Amino acid sequence: MLKDLLSVIKDSDYISKSNISERLNISEELVEEGFEQLIRMGYIKEDVRGVKCDIGCGGCPYAKSCDKVPIKTIKITEKGERLLAK
Amino acid sequence: MGTIALVGNPNSGKTTLFNALTGSNQHVGNWPGVTVEKKEGKFKYNGNIYNIVDLPGTYSLGAFSEDEIVARDFILRGNSDVVINVVDATNIERNLYLTTQLLEMGVKVIIALNMIDEAKAKNIQLGIKALSKKLGVPVVPTVASKRKGIDELIKETVGLIDEKMSLKPTISYGDKIDGEIKSIKGFLAGKTLEYPPRWIAIKLIEGDQYVHDLVTEDKDLDSDNEFRDILSRIKENDEDYELEIVNRRYEFVKDVTKASVIRPKEAVKTITDKMDKILIHKYFGLPIFILIMFAMFQLTFVIGEDLLGEMMVTVMDALAYAIEIFLININSPAWIIAFTTEGLIGGIGAIIEFIPLIVVLYMLLGILEDSGYMARAAYIMDNIMRKLGLQGKTFISMIVGFGCNVPGVMATRTLESKKDRMIAILINPFMSCGAKLLIYLVFIAAFFPDSGGLVLFIMYFTGILVALIMGKVFSKTLFKGESADFIMELPPYRKPTLRNVLRNIWDNVSEFLKRAGTIIFAVVAILWVMAVLPVGVEPYGAESVLGKIGLFIAPIFKPAGFGTWQAAVGLFSGIAAKEAVVTTLGMVYAGVGEGTELISAIQNAFTPLTSISFMIMTLLYTPCAATIATIKKETNSVKWAIFAMVYTFAIGWVMAVLIFQIGRLLGFN
Repeated sequence: MLKDLLSVIKDSDYISKSNISERLNISEELVEEGFEQLIRMGYIKEDVRGVKCDIGCGGCPYAKSCDKVPIKTIKITEKGERLLAK
Repeated sequence: MGTIALVGNPNSGKTTLFNALTGSNQHVGNWPGVTVEKKEGKFKYNGNIYNIVDLPGTYSLGAFSEDEIVARDFILRGNSDVVINVVDATNIERNLYLTTQLLEMGVKVIIALNMIDEAKAKNIQLGIKALSKKLGVPVVPTVASKRKGIDELIKETVGLIDEKMSLKPTISYGDKIDGEIKSIKGFLAGKTLEYPPRWIAIKLIEGDQYVHDLVTEDKDLDSDNEFRDILSRIKENDEDYELEIVNRRYEFVKDVTKASVIRPKEAVKTITDKMDKILIHKYFGLPIFILIMFAMFQLTFVIGEDLLGEMMVTVMDALAYAIEIFLININSPAWIIAFTTEGLIGGIGAIIEFIPLIVVLYMLLGILEDSGYMARAAYIMDNIMRKLGLQGKTFISMIVGFGCNVPGVMATRTLESKKDRMIAILINPFMSCGAKLLIYLVFIAAFFPDSGGLVLFIMYFTGILVALIMGKVFSKTLFKGESADFIMELPPYRKPTLRNVLRNIWDNVSEFLKRAGTIIFAVVAILWVMAVLPVGVEPYGAESVLGKIGLFIAPIFKPAGFGTWQAAVGLFSGIAAKEAVVTTLGMVYAGVGEGTELISAIQNAFTPLTSISFMIMTLLYTPCAATIATIKKETNSVKWAIFAMVYTFAIGWVMAVLIFQIGRLLGFN
């Protein structure tokens, strides 16, 4: 399941968990869990939404928007690429 | 008498269940040697007392964290007679991964299928019997928060203590790994070990360092060449083996849930797929995106100005009057009255009547974001940017820049290659931030009251366009190299919630006000002093210190059509902070510059054409001090910070001049 998931990620232009769940015929919750597991095992990397303000601007009025990037992106790591090449 | 361990994922309701089982009969300590909290309690059943230990919440039982090691050691060392595995019924697929690992440990397990009420509310159908049969362990539905199913759980658990160990399903890991398990077990036979042999074998193959160290501590095993051969073979294949084992566990979970869980087909999913066919369409996607943005700016004016704007002006006028009367009544010195009414209220008044527009714009942006469309916009832009040879992820930092360029520049940290990052940092100032919005609003009120939406739209899009062009130029000249690849996640569309939208408004507007408040106060204080000195000159006049500075800079802007000392001073103070541009104009043009007075003063000083060239200048020229400082910090280079200051000024100036000169040639005024 994990390897299938990884190759679907590789082939996709964008990630839609509902699409993937349909393609792999597994529930969306399992897709979600699969993503978490791939991250835990280091096959993919997820960009955490934005960055934390660590330039000591805690008092900056815009500090709140620092970690509020609304979009998640995923990258296949070298370990993941190695697996796909096999 | 017996001991029961509670195991489960974080948020599975484990602690609530622990409280329901023990009541107040519990105490908290620490596990020896680690900082993990240990919670123990007791309960009585049929005259017997049972100990119950709440193990740390974990997603798996590997050796990733102290929590995991504490939990698995407690179970494997036979400290408990029965393990209650708390499973969140609404999230069963994810929780069962932990269950598979418990089954491998060869201990007595009972499942508390918790939050069963929530699962019902979500229309998730659970076949308890099928689940129990597939897993080979008893399953008791519970609602720990309402103490439902607790008695049944206690009865079953206590019953299990005296029962013989039942046979659990064994997960097959495929011939190769099963073969390895078998041969390792052969070596372990006859040894007195802390853990069950099959479990040790699996963990060794999974590459668990903790177990590896434990096994090689045994001198016999460590000196056995055949055993070492197996270990080195595992090492060679560690990635494959680890993946295969995890994979098989998920296959098992998939098999179990297929037989026992039916989830309602969510309408949202199909709607999402249908909507995406149009909204991120290869050709229609971009025009739709542009249309949505246009509609958003139009709507901002319809709601913000027509409905709320008038109200704010009335409130502000009344407030200013009340403050002035108050200051006169308490016999304040004349200079305080002048500073407050002319400087502060003038400056703030110029801003306050535009707040409804800002509120509405952030409301609409919040709706777009919360609905999931923002991710589609980023996806569309990603495609365009890729075609231009730019890193698509840059657009994410650009979206952040619409709020403020400081977090915008910081958001470029998610870009891995130096090339992508430098480009993203250098073009971020072209994104029109919240403070620049104010400048446009004042000029729109003065010259384009009927087409405010269009003007705003043009400003924001010009910003994006210039950013893309400069990005392309930089990637061809200054920074070359490869971009890292990535994939964007598109979440399902959903109805925006009032809470999130209100929160977005509050976050942005309170930020805006806080910043405007502090900056206006500081800038007004400095500028006001400069505007009334030296003593004896006409306040706010060309002869004041401020006027002289303005007169010195003004000629630079003559080709752009706004070569007055007032405009020059406004732009100059904008380098401190963009909010200060309007405040400064309010002071130098109107003196007692409340909203309407400022606008009529601007109508006298600018023409529609010069107002456009001025707006374009403020959109593109040198970013504010905070942004420059952030660029310096993020690039770790004074050189690039200075470059960013200078080149943006040059671009702003050239664009402003082009607009004014071409406009004049075409006969515009």
